[in-house]
Amino acid sequence: MPKWEAKSEVSGFIWKVETAPGQRVAKGDTLVIIESMKMEIPVVAESDGTVVSIPVEEGAAVNEGNTVAILEV
Amino acid sequence: MKDETKQRADLKLVLDAQTARLDAARPDAVARQRKRGRWTARQALEVIADEDSFVEYGGLVRPATKGMAGAADGLVMGTLKIDGRAANIVLYDYSVYAGTQSAMNHVKISRMFLHAEKHRLPVICWLDGGGARPHDMHVTARPSTETFVVFARLSGLVPTVGISPGRAFAGHANLAGLCDVLIATEDSAMGMAGPPLVEAALGKKYTPEEIGSSSVHWASGVIDILVKDEAEAIAAAKRYLGYFEMQRPPGEAPDQMALRDMVPENPRRAYNVRNAVQTLCDIDSVMEVKAGYGKAAVTAFGRIAGRTVGIIANQPMYLAGAMDTPACLKMARFVQICDAFDIPLVVLCDTPGLMVGPEVEKTGLMRHSARVLSALANATVPVLTVVLRKAYGLGYYIMGSRPLEPAILLAWPTAEFGGMGLEGAVNIIHAKELEAAATPEARTELHARLTAELKRSNTAVESGAKFLYDDVIDPADTRAILIKTLDTLPQPAPRAARKRIIEPF
Repeated sequence: MPKWEAKSEVSGFIWKVETAPGQRVAKGDTLVIIESMKMEIPVVAESDGTVVSIPVEEGAAVNEGNTVAILEV
Repeated sequence: MKDETKQRADLKLVLDAQTARLDAARPDAVARQRKRGRWTARQALEVIADEDSFVEYGGLVRPATKGMAGAADGLVMGTLKIDGRAANIVLYDYSVYAGTQSAMNHVKISRMFLHAEKHRLPVICWLDGGGARPHDMHVTARPSTETFVVFARLSGLVPTVGISPGRAFAGHANLAGLCDVLIATEDSAMGMAGPPLVEAALGKKYTPEEIGSSSVHWASGVIDILVKDEAEAIAAAKRYLGYFEMQRPPGEAPDQMALRDMVPENPRRAYNVRNAVQTLCDIDSVMEVKAGYGKAAVTAFGRIAGRTVGIIANQPMYLAGAMDTPACLKMARFVQICDAFDIPLVVLCDTPGLMVGPEVEKTGLMRHSARVLSALANATVPVLTVVLRKAYGLGYYIMGSRPLEPAILLAWPTAEFGGMGLEGAVNIIHAKELEAAATPEARTELHARLTAELKRSNTAVESGAKFLYDDVIDPADTRAILIKTLDTLPQPAPRAARKRIIEPF
């Protein structure tokens, strides 16, 4: 199964992790929410798949381009 | 049918010369391109041109330097039709001295550009080559070629599209930088100077990719459309030129009910404005440009009920939609393209304002935000504004506000209006009360209460009552209203003269 990495488009903090490894997700589902510029910015699945890992924790800082979730799609 | 058994010697000379420039007569050159993993210029031409529509100019030209030989001197060019519409094309042929610009092919390409100017034809440039051909440096008049000047003068007069399918350095990069829209493949590399010049100047060896990979140019805003390969590049070029057919039969509309939930109820929750753009436009009609750059804004061509429109939108997913220098540069130039070619603009506003702070001032935001305002204030194309959520400060003023005289100014129920951010406004209006608060906690609480109060008096309906918008609407009706409004704004007749230039960036 090909892997797809969800990347943060912005720098900020992980506000919420909305999914967990092993979970099935559908296209458009929110994987994690990043806080940046006082906004909650969802990172969504680009296609249906299964979450392999979430390499970030709530509260952690992320930079633009960082991987925040890895999916098998 | 031509009778090929009866060929006079003079005709045979011509036919042999014509055949010699074709790929079939040049198996070694074709093999070299295949080895690079790339298409030949003529292979690309065949995919771009409508069947049997290409007429070649200068196909018999030979290199000026004695002892050198190369089909059409490395530049295939002529007139053609693309999806039924006339255009000019120039294709540098990498299999001839690495697609370099020679004394003779400079004369050729200038001829084609002047032809495009005179006959008002769009130009496609296939830019696969490594700048000037050093062997031709001795040729008189070679250094003073007019190629770049005549091409620069096409700006705003006819659409110009560059395709970088491999290498575009020096002179080729110069042409790329002048194109309205630049399409590049992921494995392409571009730069103002290639490896030999860089090594001579900086004393360091670099590969072409190390100098200017597509990812660098995508992030810098140089590339408008990034594609996988030649086939995708050509499809993108055709698609872009297709927008200049201003009215096509109406396309299918996406489900408009999706717009009612486009903006989340939670005011802090961001949403992807690309979804709003897609939903407002005909299905499969949207083409975004510079998506890798100025991410706080989205600029896209699309069709609404078949009519070509340009869309500029704030992107709340990035910097909360605050307008920084890259976003402003991107929007300003997009407005110029639309204005130059009389493409109506749809403005989707959701911005907390211009980006703030010492860092953005270092980027020249004062001037670059002024570019967007200047472009819109001086544009004569109709502007149709929809306020999706935030409409604050100078950001909103720029994003199609009332003083810019939009053809219509609509707001969604989630629209928030303010001369500045409400939290900041509370700090100023209620400075004394906040100062007087007993504890920091009490101060925070008071601030939150005052902000909430201000917000309640500031709903879209309240703003509508003050006639800040022409109407506050059900988001699901937006497309229908845009269609009706566009119907009141007929497309102007083709212009006799250039309306404006499009700045290279």
